[in-house]
Amino acid sequence: MVSREEMFLYGFFCLILALCIGAGFALQGFPATLRGLWQLQIHPSRLLIDFTAAAGEGAALVNAALAAAIGLALVAITRVRLSGPTVAAVCTILGFGLFGKTPTNILPIFLGVFLSARLVGKRFNEYIMIALFGTALGPLVTMLAVEIGAAPAVGSLIAAAGGVAVGMLLPPLALTMLRLHQGYSLYNIGLTAGFLGLLMAAIVSASAGTLEMGSLWNASPSLVLRLMIPALSVLLVGSGMLLGRRAAWSGFLRILRLSGRLPSDFMSMVGVPASLVNMGILGFAAWLYVVLVGGPLNGPVLGAILTVMGFAAFGKHLRNVWPIVGGVLAATLIFGKDLAGPGPLLAALFGTTLAPLAGEFGPFVGLVAGFLHLAMVERTGAWHLGMNLYNNGFAGGLTATYLVAVIEWYRSSRAGRRGATPGQSAERRKGEP
Amino acid sequence: MNRKEYILHLVGEMAHFVLDGEPTRMVISLHQEQDGLHLVVLDDSPRSDEEIRNMQAALGSAHRPELAGYYGSMAGLDLLGQGRLSLVGWQVKQAEVSRVNNTTRINLWLGGGQLTPGKDLPEDLPGL
Repeated sequence: MVSREEMFLYGFFCLILALCIGAGFALQGFPATLRGLWQLQIHPSRLLIDFTAAAGEGAALVNAALAAAIGLALVAITRVRLSGPTVAAVCTILGFGLFGKTPTNILPIFLGVFLSARLVGKRFNEYIMIALFGTALGPLVTMLAVEIGAAPAVGSLIAAAGGVAVGMLLPPLALTMLRLHQGYSLYNIGLTAGFLGLLMAAIVSASAGTLEMGSLWNASPSLVLRLMIPALSVLLVGSGMLLGRRAAWSGFLRILRLSGRLPSDFMSMVGVPASLVNMGILGFAAWLYVVLVGGPLNGPVLGAILTVMGFAAFGKHLRNVWPIVGGVLAATLIFGKDLAGPGPLLAALFGTTLAPLAGEFGPFVGLVAGFLHLAMVERTGAWHLGMNLYNNGFAGGLTATYLVAVIEWYRSSRAGRRGATPGQSAERRKGEP
Repeated sequence: MNRKEYILHLVGEMAHFVLDGEPTRMVISLHQEQDGLHLVVLDDSPRSDEEIRNMQAALGSAHRPELAGYYGSMAGLDLLGQGRLSLVGWQVKQAEVSRVNNTTRINLWLGGGQLTPGKDLPEDLPGL
């Protein structure tokens, strides 16, 4: 049975998606938006293609809303609770619908994950999170359809088959990757899709030659895009306060004390109103960061902020996010890079996948993680030829794995030196200053 | 995940949680029942009423297939950080946490539709 708060969330998402579609058609006009929408389905979408530059802002908004609507419908059909993880997934699809995901390139992946679940006798709703986040590999489907030089009909068949195949491989890999970083990187499918992307890039390079990585970056987005996040933040904070009143604020303060380690469903741990407030505040903070460093609020940047907002219901909050952003900021300045450049800007926003490290082990570890993340993420994109949209998730997963390995080794070795007898170590701790 | 792995993961996570409290004694007992299993965990770590309530809330959370099938696979394998009962709670049919003679007793029923939680409680467990 769907709860009152869940009904509210469905209503809220439907409103946001309807507003995106309305704004899209209003921005570009009906025929041009439809033409742009079709163009996006057959446009290469590997990193970093800004759909707002490829086919117009209106078409990009409608594309994003349609992709997110499919994700939302899947959540409803499979009767999975619309809560922290699913809210994060729908927001992520909405965000990446502005630079890489399309309704057509995500469907074969859903089918692949569905078949994978059937293959091992599981229900699809047990793998729904993998399916929703697994749409990170959407560009691989588009690439097989339009970039390998096959005739359209043949290309479409190859793309569908390729999408289904990677969808089927996602669950086993995702479960294994989760154990590598032990839940300290929030975008686990980013790490998974990175590994799959590596494999696919090797196969594609061997068979079709090297594929060039393109880049499209809208440097002057319209006022609608520039004001989208503050408007959404006001709506989120307002809804949270209306729904929960004082409890929303006290819940928000409780969220700030959580580590955010995967899976931290703030909506069920603390409450929907407090999570909505957290989403609004974190989204506004991310928007403010972009404005302060002079970055453009284009498709990829909005996508990153929407992802941050979604994960504010599933692991992120101001307290565990700032050290990561601080680390990326420090690395950007030390390495002499442009804070508003695509790489450092997206790394600062998406790098917050590492927030649980700061939440669990403190700001220093968070700063180190953020610093290493920037260096890592500038490398990893080329490894999978941009086929994995969650490149920061890939780099963040690797960074988290390195740090978790070191911290685990240090802690277990020190504990071993102190003595393995529980009573003894408890006694010693009591005696420690 | 086969039956043996499933049990090992859940037992591992429960042991992880209990050992975080540094007990001097811990007993884990597993009982085969019709169409399921009954896992009993006892330890002698002192716990407040609030801690018991929090444990019950974490273990008694509603069934979440989307979390159990994916993130639940971390149960028993995530040794860095604290043991997390919610990872177990999403995967069990029913859970009960109670205080018995200065020990904490956790009853977990894992299994299919025919399993009747609450039946055949093993009262005499060795070691405590």
